[in-house]
Amino acid sequence: MPVTRRRTAGTMLAASLLVLGLAACGSGEEDAAADSGQAADKQITVYSGRNEQLVKPLLDKFTEQTGIAVNARYANTAQLAAQLVEEGDKSPADVFFAQDAGALGTVAKRGMFSTLSEETTAKVPATYRAGNGQWVGVSARARVLAYNADLIQADQLPASVFDLTAPAWKGKVGVAPTNASFQAFVTAIRVQHGDAKAEEFLRGLKDNDPQIRDGNGKILEDVGSGVIPVGLVNHYYLGEIAKEQGTPPDALKVKLHFFPGGDTGALVNVAGVGVLNRAANDPDVQKFVDFLLGTEAQTYFAEQTFEYPVVAGVPGPAYVPALADLAVPQIDLNDLDTLDATVTMIKNSGLVP
Amino acid sequence: MRRLAPRPALLAASTAAVAVALIPLAYLAVRTAEAGWDRIAAELWTERVALLALRSIGLAAVVTTGCVLLGVGTAFLVTRTDLPGRRTFAVLGSLPLAVPTYIAAFSWVSAAPRLEGFWPAALVLTLCSYPYVLLPVAAALRGADPAQEEVSRSLGRSGWQTFTAVTLRQIRPATAAGALLVALYVLADFGAVAILRADTFTRAIFIAFDLGFDRTGALVLSSVLVALTLLLLTGETATRRRGARYAQLGGARRPAPRLSLGAARWPVVAALLGVAGLALGVPAVNLARRLAAGVSRPGALTEVLAAAGNSLTVSLAGAALTMLLALPLGLLASRAPGPLTTVLDRLAYLAHALPGVVIGLSLIFFGINVAYPLYQTHWLLALAYATHFLPLAVGAVVGAAAQSPAGLEEVARSLGRGPWTVLRTVTLPLTLPGIGAGAALVFLAGMKELPATLLLRPTGMNTLATELWTSTAVGAYAAAAPYAALLVLISAVPTWLLVARSGLLDKENLA
Amino acid sequence: MSDVVLSGVVKRYGRVTALAGADVSVPSGQLTAVLGPSGCGKTTLLRCLAGFERIDGGEIRIDGDRVAGGGRHVPTHRRNIAVVPQEGALFPHLSVADNVGYGLDRAARRSDRVEQVLALVGLAGYGARMPHQLSGGQQQRVAVARALAPRPSVVLLDEPFSALDAGLRAGLRQDVREALRADGATGVLVTHDQGEALSVADKVVVLRDGRVVQAAAPTTVYREPVDPWVAGFVGDAVLLPAVVEQGAARTALGVVPVAGPVTDGPVTVLVRPEQVRFTAGPGAVTATVLRHDFHGHDALVGLRLADGTRITARILDGAAPLSPGGEVSVQVDGAARAFPRDTAVGLPASTVVELAA
Repeated sequence: MPVTRRRTAGTMLAASLLVLGLAACGSGEEDAAADSGQAADKQITVYSGRNEQLVKPLLDKFTEQTGIAVNARYANTAQLAAQLVEEGDKSPADVFFAQDAGALGTVAKRGMFSTLSEETTAKVPATYRAGNGQWVGVSARARVLAYNADLIQADQLPASVFDLTAPAWKGKVGVAPTNASFQAFVTAIRVQHGDAKAEEFLRGLKDNDPQIRDGNGKILEDVGSGVIPVGLVNHYYLGEIAKEQGTPPDALKVKLHFFPGGDTGALVNVAGVGVLNRAANDPDVQKFVDFLLGTEAQTYFAEQTFEYPVVAGVPGPAYVPALADLAVPQIDLNDLDTLDATVTMIKNSGLVP
Repeated sequence: MRRLAPRPALLAASTAAVAVALIPLAYLAVRTAEAGWDRIAAELWTERVALLALRSIGLAAVVTTGCVLLGVGTAFLVTRTDLPGRRTFAVLGSLPLAVPTYIAAFSWVSAAPRLEGFWPAALVLTLCSYPYVLLPVAAALRGADPAQEEVSRSLGRSGWQTFTAVTLRQIRPATAAGALLVALYVLADFGAVAILRADTFTRAIFIAFDLGFDRTGALVLSSVLVALTLLLLTGETATRRRGARYAQLGGARRPAPRLSLGAARWPVVAALLGVAGLALGVPAVNLARRLAAGVSRPGALTEVLAAAGNSLTVSLAGAALTMLLALPLGLLASRAPGPLTTVLDRLAYLAHALPGVVIGLSLIFFGINVAYPLYQTHWLLALAYATHFLPLAVGAVVGAAAQSPAGLEEVARSLGRGPWTVLRTVTLPLTLPGIGAGAALVFLAGMKELPATLLLRPTGMNTLATELWTSTAVGAYAAAAPYAALLVLISAVPTWLLVARSGLLDKENLA
Repeated sequence: MSDVVLSGVVKRYGRVTALAGADVSVPSGQLTAVLGPSGCGKTTLLRCLAGFERIDGGEIRIDGDRVAGGGRHVPTHRRNIAVVPQEGALFPHLSVADNVGYGLDRAARRSDRVEQVLALVGLAGYGARMPHQLSGGQQQRVAVARALAPRPSVVLLDEPFSALDAGLRAGLRQDVREALRADGATGVLVTHDQGEALSVADKVVVLRDGRVVQAAAPTTVYREPVDPWVAGFVGDAVLLPAVVEQGAARTALGVVPVAGPVTDGPVTVLVRPEQVRFTAGPGAVTATVLRHDFHGHDALVGLRLADGTRITARILDGAAPLSPGGEVSVQVDGAARAFPRDTAVGLPASTVVELAA
C-alpha cells in the first residue's frame, strides 16, 4: 500500500523534525555567547571582518601564549559594522577587527570606540591609523594592477592608473567597483587630484568597457586564466591564489604591477582594529591589540596573508616590493564625509547598480 | 463552505505568528523613520531606483514565467505521459531545490567567465527554483479529477484545448502558489545576482552596505522591496479569488489516462536530461573540478562534521519553530476563510522577499531591544528562519488541512471523542505528511541561508553555508568543495521526501 | 432506546433564518426521515442536533436530557450520537476495523462488536481493508457500521445515499434500515428524496422554510398531506379546482367523493395519478391522449380534459396501445383529498403535473 507507507514516512519525518528541532533549541542555550565583558576574565570577544581562514591561526596563537580565550565572530566587514551600530551599547563585542578603514570609521563615528593609548598607536605610522586614536591599522595592502604575463609584456604596462582609460585598454581591465577597496581608491584620486579628475577617470573607465567582477579574487582568477588581460586588485590576493594552487607566487602567470612614482594607483589601505568602549580598560583586550602589533603577528601577516606589516623592522612578503619603496598617496582613510561623496560618485558613474 | 464558529484561540495564535513575521517590517519602519523624509526622498526618487525596481520586477517576471513553463511542463510529463524513467525525472526535476543559488551561479561563472547580467541570472535562478512550481503542480495533477478532462474531450475539444481550458485551470491554484514563492525568492536572492552581476534591488542593498557602510540607505531601499512584494501579493490574491481551491476529499481516486508521447518521447527525454544537466550537472562538475585543481583542504573531519551538525541543528530548529507558528495560521486559513484570515495570511508573506541581511539586522534589533537573553543563541537564529520562511510553511499547512476536512473531525466528535483526542487520532495523522513537507521546505531554505546566519549565529558556531563562504572568500575553492557537496547532499534528503510526498514515486506512477 | 425531542428550535446564520422554530420528536427504536427540498433547513436541523451548531432558540432533548437550549450547549462528543455523513467520510488512514472501532472504548474494541456491526451491514470479514480499497457503497456501509458500533442514542444520517447510483441506493437503504432495526437503533435520516423517505422511514417529518409542516407515518403523509405543497412534494399529484357539494367534489374529471369532513364551497382536490382509471363506466369523462411514457412496471399517460386541463394517469398495463391524439374515457377511483382553495397558491414547481418520473 504505497499511500500508507508514504503517509507513515511523512508522519515520521514531521514528528522527528519537531522533536529534533526543539531539542536543538534546548541545547542551543548552553552555547549562548559567554559574556566576556568583565575585565581580566581571560576572555575577549572579537568581531572579525577578516576571514576565519586567514586569522584563526593567529588568534589561536594568541590564546596559546596568553591563556586568553578569543570568542571570534566572523562575517563580512561591512555587515559587522552595521551589526555593531545596531547593537550599540549592548554589543557583546570587545574588539572590531575590520578589513577596511571605512568600516572602522563608521563605528568610530558613532562614538563606540575608546581611544587607544599613545603607546599603542605610536607603533604605527600616522598614515595607517586614525588621527584621533580611535582605531589602528595592523596590516597594509597595496592597490596593484595584476596582469597575465602571457598576454601583456612588462614594457606594455601603464605608468599610471589613469592610462587605463585609454583606447588601448578597452575591454581589457578587470575592476570590482562594489568592493570597499575600490571606494578607498576613488577617494584617494579625489584627495590627490580633485573631484573633477576622479569623475573623469570613472567615466573614462566606464566608457572603456571594463570587465566588472564581484570581487578581487574573481578578477585575479580570470586574469590568471587569460579571460581578462589586467585587473585592479589588492596585492595579497596573488598570495592566496598561489596558496590554493600549491605553487610559489613567482610561478604564476599572474604578475603584479605596482604603479610607480606616487601614482594613486598604488594606494595603500589597511586592515585594523578598534576597541569598543566597554572594553576600554580590559587588560586582556590591551594584550590582544599589543599582540597584533607585535613582531610575531606582523610576521604572520607578511608570511601567511601576504600583507605588509605596519610596524617598523618586520620584513614584508617576499614576492612584492617593500612598503617603504612604494610611493604611497597620503589620504585620511577615516574621513567619512569624503566616503559618502565617493560612494555617490561611484554610483553615478554607472559602474555599480 | 459552511461558516464556522469563530475560533479565538486559533486567531490569537495566528496573530502571534504574523507578529513574528512582521518583525523585519517594524525594524524597517523604525529605521526608515529615523532617516527622515528628505533622506528617504533623496534615496528613492531617483532614476536609479526606478531602473532597479524595473529590473527586479523584470527578473522576477522572467524567472517566474520560466519556472512555470519548466515546472508545469515537467510535472505534466512525469504525471500524465508515458515518458520513460518518470520517477527518475521527477527526482531530477526536484533536486535543484538542494542547490543554493550561490553555488549554481559560481559554477556557471567558473564555466563561462564572461557570463554576466540579467539573462544569465534569470537562467540560473530559473534552474534553481522551478521545483517550487513542479512539486505542487505535480501533486495537483495527480489529484485532479480526470472526468473534467474527459467531458472536455467529449465536447469536441482537442487534447491541447483541453489542457489549456481544463487541466491548466485545475492546477491554477497550485501553479499560482508556486509562482508566488518563486517571484518572492527572486526578489530576495542575493547569491545569483551578485555573482552574475545582475543589477537588482537586493544587489543594490548589499552594495549599499559594502561600498558605503550605509545602513540607512540600504534599509530605505529595502522598503521598496516590501512595496514590490505587496504588489505581487495583490496580484496573486486576485487569481485566487477567481480560481477556487481544489481539494480531493477521499473517494476512490482514478488515475488519469497517460498521454502517449510517441515519436516525441526521446527528444523529450533529451530535453529533460539537458535541463537536469544544466541545473545539477554544471554545479557537480565544477565542484569536482575545484576539488581536483586546488591544494587547500577543509579543516579536520571533526570541523566538517561539526559544521554539518550545526547546519542540521539550526535548520531543524528553524523548521520546527516555523511549523509551530505556521500551524494555527494555516488551519485558520483553511478552516475559517474570510477577509481577516486573508489579511493575516498575506501579512505573513511580506518579509519573505527581504534580503537575508535585512532579516539579520532586524533580528539583531529585536534581540538587542526585546529579547536580549536570546541574542546570539540558536533560538534567535531559528526565529529569523521562521520570520523569513513562514510563507513556505503556511502554504504547506493549508494544503495539509485539506487532507483532513472539517467533516471528518465532526464525525469523530460525533462518535464521542473529545477535541484533543480528535486532534491526536484524526487531524494530526492526516495532516502530518503535509506539515512534514512544509518543514522540509523550511529546512532546505535554512540549510542554504547565509547572510542572516552570518549575522545571527552564536559566536563561534559554523554551519556548512558559513564555512563555504569562509573558504570561497579567500579563494580556497578546494577546501570549500566538500562543504558545498555536503550541503547539497544533506539537502537532497528532504528534497527526496518532498518528491515522495507528492506521490511521484508511487507504484501507480510507474505503471 | 431513546427519544429525541426538538422543541421550537431556531437557528440563524447572520440575517438568514435556517430554522424558524422547528418541533420534531423522534420515537425511540424507529427511523425518522426529515424530508424537504434543498434549503429547507434539514441539514441545519441535523447539525444542531449533532451539536456542530449552537441553536439560537428552543431546546433539544436526548433521552430526556437537555443538550441544547436555555444557555446550555453540550458538545458533540458528549451527546451520545453518531453521524453518517453524505460521503461517508471514513478516516482514510485507518482500516475498516479501526474506523468501526473508533467510537468504542478499549474493551469494546476487543469484543466482537466491530465484527458484529460489520456483519449487520453485510461486510463481515472486511475489517483489514483500507477505505480506498472499497467501493462507494461499501464505504457508506462502513460509515453506518461505525455509527452503530458505540450504540449511540441516535444515529444521524445526512443524505447518506445521495452520492450513490440509483440501483445501489435502493438496495443499500433497505440494508441500512434492516441494520438499524436489528440493532434497535434510533435513527434520523435527512433526505430530499421523497421515495427514500417514504420507503424506509417509520415516520416522515416534512420541513419547509425552517418549519415542520407535517410529521406522520409515510402512508399518512402520502395519502393525507396537510396541504397541496406537501401533496406535490411527497409524490406525483393531480390538483384540480373543484366545488364541493354534499361531500362530493365536482371537477373536470367528473364527480369525485371527498375524504373526511369538508364544508361545501370551492376547493382544490388532490388526485394521485394511480387513481385515474381508464374505464367507460357511468360518470366517466372523455380525455385526449397527449403522450405515453412507458416505464416497464407501469406507464404514465398525459391527458387533456375537455376543459383543457392537463392531468397524468398511472396505469399498470403499460403495454396497452395508446396513441397520442386518441380519445379515452377516464374516471377517478376512490376518494380525493380536498383543500381550501386559497392553500393552492405557492405550489413547488415539481407539483405541476409533469410526465417525467
